[in-house]
Amino acid sequence: MKESPNLIFHVLFLLLLISPSVFSWKKDEFRNCNQTPFCKRARSRKPGACNLIATEVSISDDGDLIAKLITKIPENNGSQDPPVEVDSQPLLLTISVYQDGILRLKIDEDQSLNPPKKRFEEKIDNDLGFSSVVYLDGDYEGVLRHDPFEVFVRERGNGKRVLSINSNGLFDFEQLREKKEGDDWEERFRSHTDTRPYGPQSISFDVSFFGADIVSGIPEHATSLALKPTSGPGVEDGFSEPYRLFNLDVFEYLHESPFGLYGSIPFMFSHGKARGSSGFFWLNAAEMQIDVFGTGWNAGQDKIMMPVDEKRIDTLWMSEAGVVDAFFFVGPGPKDVVRQYTSVTGRPAMPQLFATAYHQCRWNYRDEEDVFGVDSKFDEHDIPYDVLWLDIEHTDGKRYFTWDKVLFPNPEEMQNKLAAKGRHMVTIVDPHIKRDDNYYIHKEASDNGYYVKDASNRDFDGWCWPGSSSYVDVVNPDIRSWWADKFSYGNYVGSTPYLYIWNDMNEPSVFNGPEVTMPRDALHFGGTEHRELHNAYGYYFHMATSNGLVKRENGKDRPFVLSRAFFPGTQRYGAVWTGDNTAEWDHLRVSVPMLLTLGLTGISFSGADVGGFFGNPEPDLLVRWYQLGAYYPFFRAHAHQDTKRREPWLFGERNTQLIREAIHTRYMFLPYFYTLFREANVTGTPVIRPLWMEFPADEETFSNDEAFMVGNGLLVQGVYTERAKHVSVYLPGDQSWYDLRNGATYKGGKRHKFEALEDSVPAFQRAGTIIPRKDRFRRSSTQMDKDPYTLVIALNSSKEAEGELYIDDGKSFNFENGAYIHRHFKFSNGKLTSSNAAPSGAGGNKFSTDCTVERIILLGLSPAPKSAFIEPSNQKVGIEMGPLTIRPGKNPSFATIRKPNVRIADNWTIKIL
Amino acid sequence: MNKKKKIGGLRRLFEISIVIIIGCICAITRSAAAAAAKDDQFLLLLGVSPQDEDYYKGLLSSPSSTIKCKDGSFKFSTSQLNDDFCDCPDASDEPGTSACPNGKFYCKNAGHIPFSLYSSRVNDGICDCCDGSDEYDGKVKCPNTCWEAGKVARERLKMKIATYQQGVTVRNRLVEQAKLAIAKEEAELSKLKNEEKILKGLVEQLQERKEQIEKAEEKERLQKEKEDKERKETEEANLKEKQNGEQVESSEADALKNDIHDKIGEQVESSEADALKNDMHDKIGLLGDSSSSQDVMEGHGDSESEAQHGEFDVKEESSIGDVKPLQEDSLLHATEKEEQLTVDGQPGLDTGNQAEVEEDNSESLSKEELGRLVASRWTGEKTEPQTQEVSSAKDKNHGTEEEDAYGEEYSGYDSEEDEHRYDNNDDGDNEDQMDDFGGEDHDDSSPSYKSESDDEPDLPAEPSWLEKIQKSVRRIFQAVTFFQTPVDKSEAARVRKEYDESSAKLSKLQSRISSLTHKLKHDFGREKEFYSFYGQCFENKQNKYVYKICPFKQASQVEGHSTTRLGSWEKFEDSYKVMQFLNGDKCWNGPDRSMKASILLVKLRCGLNNEVTDVDEPSRCEYLALLSTPAVCVEEKLKELQDKLDMMNKEQPTSHDEL
Repeated sequence: MKESPNLIFHVLFLLLLISPSVFSWKKDEFRNCNQTPFCKRARSRKPGACNLIATEVSISDDGDLIAKLITKIPENNGSQDPPVEVDSQPLLLTISVYQDGILRLKIDEDQSLNPPKKRFEEKIDNDLGFSSVVYLDGDYEGVLRHDPFEVFVRERGNGKRVLSINSNGLFDFEQLREKKEGDDWEERFRSHTDTRPYGPQSISFDVSFFGADIVSGIPEHATSLALKPTSGPGVEDGFSEPYRLFNLDVFEYLHESPFGLYGSIPFMFSHGKARGSSGFFWLNAAEMQIDVFGTGWNAGQDKIMMPVDEKRIDTLWMSEAGVVDAFFFVGPGPKDVVRQYTSVTGRPAMPQLFATAYHQCRWNYRDEEDVFGVDSKFDEHDIPYDVLWLDIEHTDGKRYFTWDKVLFPNPEEMQNKLAAKGRHMVTIVDPHIKRDDNYYIHKEASDNGYYVKDASNRDFDGWCWPGSSSYVDVVNPDIRSWWADKFSYGNYVGSTPYLYIWNDMNEPSVFNGPEVTMPRDALHFGGTEHRELHNAYGYYFHMATSNGLVKRENGKDRPFVLSRAFFPGTQRYGAVWTGDNTAEWDHLRVSVPMLLTLGLTGISFSGADVGGFFGNPEPDLLVRWYQLGAYYPFFRAHAHQDTKRREPWLFGERNTQLIREAIHTRYMFLPYFYTLFREANVTGTPVIRPLWMEFPADEETFSNDEAFMVGNGLLVQGVYTERAKHVSVYLPGDQSWYDLRNGATYKGGKRHKFEALEDSVPAFQRAGTIIPRKDRFRRSSTQMDKDPYTLVIALNSSKEAEGELYIDDGKSFNFENGAYIHRHFKFSNGKLTSSNAAPSGAGGNKFSTDCTVERIILLGLSPAPKSAFIEPSNQKVGIEMGPLTIRPGKNPSFATIRKPNVRIADNWTIKIL
Repeated sequence: MNKKKKIGGLRRLFEISIVIIIGCICAITRSAAAAAAKDDQFLLLLGVSPQDEDYYKGLLSSPSSTIKCKDGSFKFSTSQLNDDFCDCPDASDEPGTSACPNGKFYCKNAGHIPFSLYSSRVNDGICDCCDGSDEYDGKVKCPNTCWEAGKVARERLKMKIATYQQGVTVRNRLVEQAKLAIAKEEAELSKLKNEEKILKGLVEQLQERKEQIEKAEEKERLQKEKEDKERKETEEANLKEKQNGEQVESSEADALKNDIHDKIGEQVESSEADALKNDMHDKIGLLGDSSSSQDVMEGHGDSESEAQHGEFDVKEESSIGDVKPLQEDSLLHATEKEEQLTVDGQPGLDTGNQAEVEEDNSESLSKEELGRLVASRWTGEKTEPQTQEVSSAKDKNHGTEEEDAYGEEYSGYDSEEDEHRYDNNDDGDNEDQMDDFGGEDHDDSSPSYKSESDDEPDLPAEPSWLEKIQKSVRRIFQAVTFFQTPVDKSEAARVRKEYDESSAKLSKLQSRISSLTHKLKHDFGREKEFYSFYGQCFENKQNKYVYKICPFKQASQVEGHSTTRLGSWEKFEDSYKVMQFLNGDKCWNGPDRSMKASILLVKLRCGLNNEVTDVDEPSRCEYLALLSTPAVCVEEKLKELQDKLDMMNKEQPTSHDEL
């Protein structure tokens, strides 16, 4: 604030005006595959190069299949070639099979042969689904072929393959060895040198997905949902690099590129019309590069023995270090794969209700006055919001857990003032700690040796917001526990129970490090090199912070922590967002595939900065972003400090009205969203879904990533162009769809052209669903607690529909002990029935609510009946014509059961007379 | 909505009403039934504003009567009024509940100001109306705080009214003064224009005369050359004779000339002084510096010492010790180069060699420099303390920081800036004349050139200085013999001098005319109430920054010796409630690389003194200031406030029963 603009920079950047902003991504600052030796080596290998064979196959005591992989010595067939020198040790292979169609493959060095170092193995601290271990499961079987070594899963009856590894013989395992005289293991990139004391240790292999029309997953990349090929024929411009998984703080990322962003999940999802879905997950936290091969990439490679008639997608997985710890998920439905994957990595945490509402953020709300000003403006304009965020400038010199004494002299009072209106606040806490001896966090961390060390075993010293900084070694559970304690109200002075946390820069971002991150030879707990766990650092930080919030309320309050970096399992600790996007239409567009991909890979609670972080959105773009963002699982507006103010009321009355409407839409659907968050919490099924997750057999949907499903009942299509006149929307399935704006019906299985109205993006309720809403406007979700429900019944062609509603206290963990309400609504034969969907006798802990249903809207019922009869209260209520949503002006009206006033928690039926 | 609870809530309201009714109406001994009937109405009309009572009248007669929603979309009956279910999309059936999303709830707030709330506030557990009427479902108890809060509000309002009362008087005086002053200046302007015309004529005559003399001299010179040799013998004698004659003539001419000089000099220059001051103000202002030339001078010395501090600081701050400004340069170039490389997309080709050199530069950055450089992408801030040091060091050579900022990048800018500054001086006057002003005594008897604030009447009765000049010029022409060859040298000199001086006066006169014209062209407000702002600056200090707002000119932010121009005067906005300054210094507008100019909006509030009360920067490079001034204490607003106070005083809580 109030920085006098520095003209040197002005002039300098004037010069740079010639460079269009799309080129501002510092490509040269990041390594490409050719500059990454392990990637270059792996990518240059030819199919069939692997000459490992499986021997000594046996079944272990646990029921695992174990084997040794040894190098096959070619028979001397009389050629002049000298015999191949075999200097490698046998590798240990283990195949375990878990319930629900999960096969796990581990390959590591044999510890009994004393390799120079124990390779880092990322742990799964999740006991879900690990109870029974069976070798064969259901309709599938895992097969280990010995020579050449290959592992695959196939359908038991017909032998059709689902997934396989090393079918193309690209498996390679660089075993650790002692450094010999003359070995130069150092790697240099720009001005940085990686000492690489253990030398090459990479692993690579090919994975094939059978019956796949598309592959998806492996976030985070700003690209399409169906992954484009990066190798072989049909590679598009800009996609010749493999998809990179290496958590990086990328300044001004491009909207269409395979380079790696803030988080990494090495989990690929495949889907095809023929068989359905399957998934492959490699638990490995080192840098990974993944090629998706275009069809025909290996033409002429006759060495491969693969069924040729099957449609499949081949991929190449390359990692710098670690072990092979891979999971095969057989599906066959898309939701099955997510369930299987999240049974391994954990289900998404149940968020607090407030966190699913609207968040207002900016770098930075400057001071308390600013905070109160923004807060009261929301009230003045009758726009609800739940959370106000404070970015780095609220701290005393970027020392987290502190407050700028001038700007925020009374933080507790401030939070309490907002809390009186049911609102919450979030402050930022990053992993870089200012190296200042007077800063208690630094003092404790350095005294206790809690920092990540550099290659020479001194505290790593890097540059970030506070200047010279060190990074907490959250890989160590003890240090995580220490970190968690920092969030107690006693330690975090100025925090209140209404304050939650935001973890930024946890890739980790190191401004003067190689590729703006930590050197790979930095050392963590137990002597593990940073290279081995880089992608998991942010995850551990997120975990520690989240645990801190649980601790501060003795396990009674669900934490809310937003993280930028992520890794498999992040879903258990909180939400993520897509980082520093830009106020451009392309970034609005790419937000949808990015969030859908996150959902597929377990991270359901995700969002993109509404409005775009960098730059100033035109009002049209901002409004469209709000209209789409209202359906993001995580709905937050955020902006860079150099951008113009863009709170919802700053763009004229009409735009204020449009944005208010968009935000109200989110609040209206909160009961539905909350129910979906619970579904994700139980099954892993994401809140927003690719169309093909709900319509797996509809090929039209496979490449569609501009529309998405919210749950199984809503389809939302963004508007991605300026002043769009028309929007084309594909409505899948054989049932019809009801336009949320006016209740008009449209046929499924068809593409429709709609006028692009300015008041909302196209959104439709699917026939056959019942969606619960709360239509009353309030200041925040907190005040909606006691408000009555509206049920919208969208009848299908057989005049039936069903839906669910989940309610709990929105805050505590009591729901884990059964303190919740789960209703199932079914409409058939002219009768709506509400029944309990919760397992009977679930815990002694009960949750109750006096909320009633004030309105039931029936779509697709004509002619409209006159009344309805409620049981068991034996009351007759009137049916009138009412609008789909209450908005000023004349709107089409639909049969509406007026004031049935049945309690939402009760069993009842309402019969249409 | 739970039915039971609602009934409970309504009962509470009912009880409140009963208490009030009993308290106030018992004396009139109305029947209990009548009271109950009244209470029903009260419930029905919950949240209805007095203006709307008529609209609902039709529903009060019988429970089965119906009216149309205000927007005409539907009909609703008495039983649907405030029944907690939204029937009208425009909320007209639910003025007292939260059932309709677009409704308004009217709280009477007796003792304070009545207020219409959004229906979203009704029974949401938060007390919004000071009379507590928005929370009636029994979930929270809202005490009636209207009288207390109203008292505070009334006090505040009274104070505001008092301010306005005085402010209006001050404003009226301002308006009076402005009218007089403007009339005076307009008169002066027309007078000056007249004088300009005459003086122009004189100057032309003198010029003509001068040219004749020059011609004659030329002719004489040629003749002289020709006759030189022939007249060598008699030359000396002739010369002596001539000199005697000249002496007489020249002493006469000198007296005349002195007279002219004095008058013109004093009067024109004294007016010039003002014009020049204004001019200087403009020009120096444009340079983004403070208003007097002295400040500019001081800037040199101080920034020099700051430069030294800067150097010292750097050494302390920088972990790598001795980074030199030169390296900073190369750092900047490196960034620039990198950018270009990215644009090219093919760093390896033509530009390869050069690129590598630059690349090396960037790679040879210390870790700290690299950290700062990368951080700066997000913040847009200078990467290094060194940058500042470079600036400060350059201050030695230049006046203001802006200049070296430009100079930093293009050495060419240095000279341009310097030229610019000389130009400014030339435009106004030369430095000698500037110095003269200080010592000169102003002639009070020539009021047409007096400063703007002078209240004395216009135009002198006695012959003006111009007439004197005219006279003396006429005398010159009479005294001087025309076309006399050989040319009388002292005569020629006198004419020349007279010409030079007169044309100098003319140009001063013209400059005064232009500055007056310029001034009078400004929009001083509907009643010229902002006239007194002209030439004034208002300051406000916030932490380390001093904000300087000079209406009709410019506004700046000063931090130590560095000055940032926040904007140049643009215009009044929002019917003279906001002053707009645009096109200030360019701001580094974040990663989209666009440079935008700072702007400042000054909101005007009624106050007794001209005072900047607050300056803020809501968005980067967009400043917002509050200026209190009597100039906006308008009478209508005063009346409005008084009406409001009257109403607040009228609305005593005891009148509650009269619903």
